[in-house]
Amino acid sequence: MLDPKQIETWIAHGMNCDHLQVEGDGQHFQAIIVSVEFEGLSRVRRQQRVNAVLKDHFDSGILHALSMQTLTPVEWQAQRG
Amino acid sequence: MDVQQQIRDTVTKNPVVLFMKGTAQFPQCGFSARVVQILKACGVEEMVTVNVLADEAVRQGIKDYANWPTIPQLYVKGEFVGGCDITTEMYQSGELQQLLEPIVSAR
Repeated sequence: MLDPKQIETWIAHGMNCDHLQVEGDGQHFQAIIVSVEFEGLSRVRRQQRVNAVLKDHFDSGILHALSMQTLTPVEWQAQRG
Repeated sequence: MDVQQQIRDTVTKNPVVLFMKGTAQFPQCGFSARVVQILKACGVEEMVTVNVLADEAVRQGIKDYANWPTIPQLYVKGEFVGGCDITTEMYQSGELQQLLEPIVSAR
């Protein structure tokens, strides 16, 4: 069973995150990823950035379903109100 | 024809294409089912769906095609729109309806 904390570690090692939170039941996971690297990128490009970091784990089949919210620090502040 | 060419043909010759697990009538994954429902809610009546569970080469090939590791994948007029998360966000914000409007009203 894959631990959400493991996914957080993988993401944190691959990119520069201001805030990172992964939750899940071992099969399906949800992530909130806040990074300055997302500035100026479309939603697809942001998610591709994260997917690239996790590529080996998607390819191996250990990770198959990760929903993600990809936000810049400014968007994250606005969302929190 | 190689699988990348086959995928390119499918997404460019059809305005709305969804690569999914199962079929529009019988989705075999909750994420795929959600995208089908969203497309229907946007008024899309004719969509081409490709069941990746029926073809292992396409299942692998589509991940490489968009550099996107998960299914479902939505294409509109040949452009990769996103997976379930992005499609849902775009539906909630109204962007997806805008994107699909010319296709829906052309029928």
